[in-house]
Amino acid sequence: MSQGDVANTGQVVFAIEAFKRIHPVEFQRRFLSQETRHNGRGFSQFRATHVTKGTISTAQGSSTVRIGNTTVVCGIKAEVSEPDVKAPNEGYLVTNVDLSPMCSAHFRPGAPGETAQVSSEHLHRLFKGNVVDPESLCIEAGQAVWVLSADIVFVKYDGNVLDAAVIALTAALEDLQLPKAVFDSETGVVSADRTMGQGLTLRKRLFPATFSLIDGVYLVADADDAEEQLATATVLVVLDDNGHLVNIWKRGAGNISRETISRCVDDAGVRKATLTKELQDNTQKS
Amino acid sequence: MSTNVVDRRRVNGPARSVEPLYTSADTAESFVNGREDKRTLDQVRPIFMKTGPLSAQESELSLSATASAASGSAFYEQGKIRISCAVYGPRQGRKSNARMGSFDCDFRYAPFSCSWKRRSHIKAADEKEISLMLEHAIAPAIRVEAYPKACIDAFVTVIESDGRAATIAAAINCISAALADAGIEMYDSVAACSMGLRGSQWVADCTQSEEDVSSCSVLIAFMPSADEITYILQHGKSTPEQTDQAVQTCTNLCTRVYAVICRYLQSSLV
Repeated sequence: MSQGDVANTGQVVFAIEAFKRIHPVEFQRRFLSQETRHNGRGFSQFRATHVTKGTISTAQGSSTVRIGNTTVVCGIKAEVSEPDVKAPNEGYLVTNVDLSPMCSAHFRPGAPGETAQVSSEHLHRLFKGNVVDPESLCIEAGQAVWVLSADIVFVKYDGNVLDAAVIALTAALEDLQLPKAVFDSETGVVSADRTMGQGLTLRKRLFPATFSLIDGVYLVADADDAEEQLATATVLVVLDDNGHLVNIWKRGAGNISRETISRCVDDAGVRKATLTKELQDNTQKS
Repeated sequence: MSTNVVDRRRVNGPARSVEPLYTSADTAESFVNGREDKRTLDQVRPIFMKTGPLSAQESELSLSATASAASGSAFYEQGKIRISCAVYGPRQGRKSNARMGSFDCDFRYAPFSCSWKRRSHIKAADEKEISLMLEHAIAPAIRVEAYPKACIDAFVTVIESDGRAATIAAAINCISAALADAGIEMYDSVAACSMGLRGSQWVADCTQSEEDVSSCSVLIAFMPSADEITYILQHGKSTPEQTDQAVQTCTNLCTRVYAVICRYLQSSLV
């Protein structure tokens, strides 16, 4: 069948790819109205998620996370700095998301775009204090503290930035080995022993789940890139180990009913169970 | 240097941070004769690569390339080195009257990709330099006259590096594979390989710790079918005879790397 063939019925028949490009909303609607999605998933079905810890040997903590076609690498570099005068016992956690044209044509080279800035900032607020105790990063009060620079680099982008980033950062923090550091008060030098690594105790682990509202009525879990383009509203639900709510973030102009929100929270609980399994000992030291 | 500038588009840490002074030297020089990973002197680390766009579904329609997918992409591993590359184009160039197409390359290290201090987000001079090197090494292979008024862009990110020269060589191989995946017309694929001089011996494809103790390094990009060298870079001290020898060995190794790339590309067509 070639493009734009006029069938006997007088209807214009398009090849499926052309249809997808010309009428993306109608294309998705045809699937959604039949209780299915263009990628074959059910409405509340998340993509297969794979977590591997310790993938980067040049970082102190690292992880690689794949959610379907979205692939992300998180690396944490630990460095030493002077603490802020106002908080002499507190170390730093710096989180940055990198979305470059290498991972998708949506992004421009150069300074981080809107999505990257928003994700970096949200991630920072989620993890700082909440997950990582800043005082556990203290080497010598008022003198030296650890700076954890966590960089989340997207290698392939197919939707759902925040889920991927939160899972990757959680896994990398669990993988993190801080060398045992000693502050010499005479010379002011921090010396560290690579062979004596020590993990960081996390206050909690975070389990994210994202839901998107398409066409005002269809609520789909873990939207891919094509679905994300059409979403009118998006809800991010983050739970901790005990299943308590840590964060709900509804964005986008579309309105979402209270019932929908509570359904999102319920589904996030199911997602948490699968993620817990996936996060357990997937260490693969390279 | 660059740390004084506060970038409000990123989450910023303290203005200055340093690596702690590591007491235990982990680069034990136990590889005076052999190599730390038991390779022979002229052996390149094992190569793994994968090409292909985001979505595996390709249809016969030329429309099919979805807006989000690059024209071509490749993921390349050589030992610990890991590089990812996306190629866009041929697409509209900046000069509307150009008779030849142009090839641009954007090379970046991920902030955690190097074994020493964390790299800044702000593009360092060496990344700019390597971008240019890659352009010069690859451009001679592209049939630019086939793409008037167009440009081809390659975006390369190093996820993990192990040896500076070896990483650049790996980036060249990665771009070659991505260009082939994008279906760009080329005279030949460019294969690259590096060597380091340790004492009077040439050692192929040095890791970081081997590179630290070598006195000279040679990087060669080579088009084996055309039998033409597209790029040579030599740093450090070596006699003309030694350099000659290195060029010889390196081109031979490039041919072997080329065979790996070609075998992969052939198998990816099936």
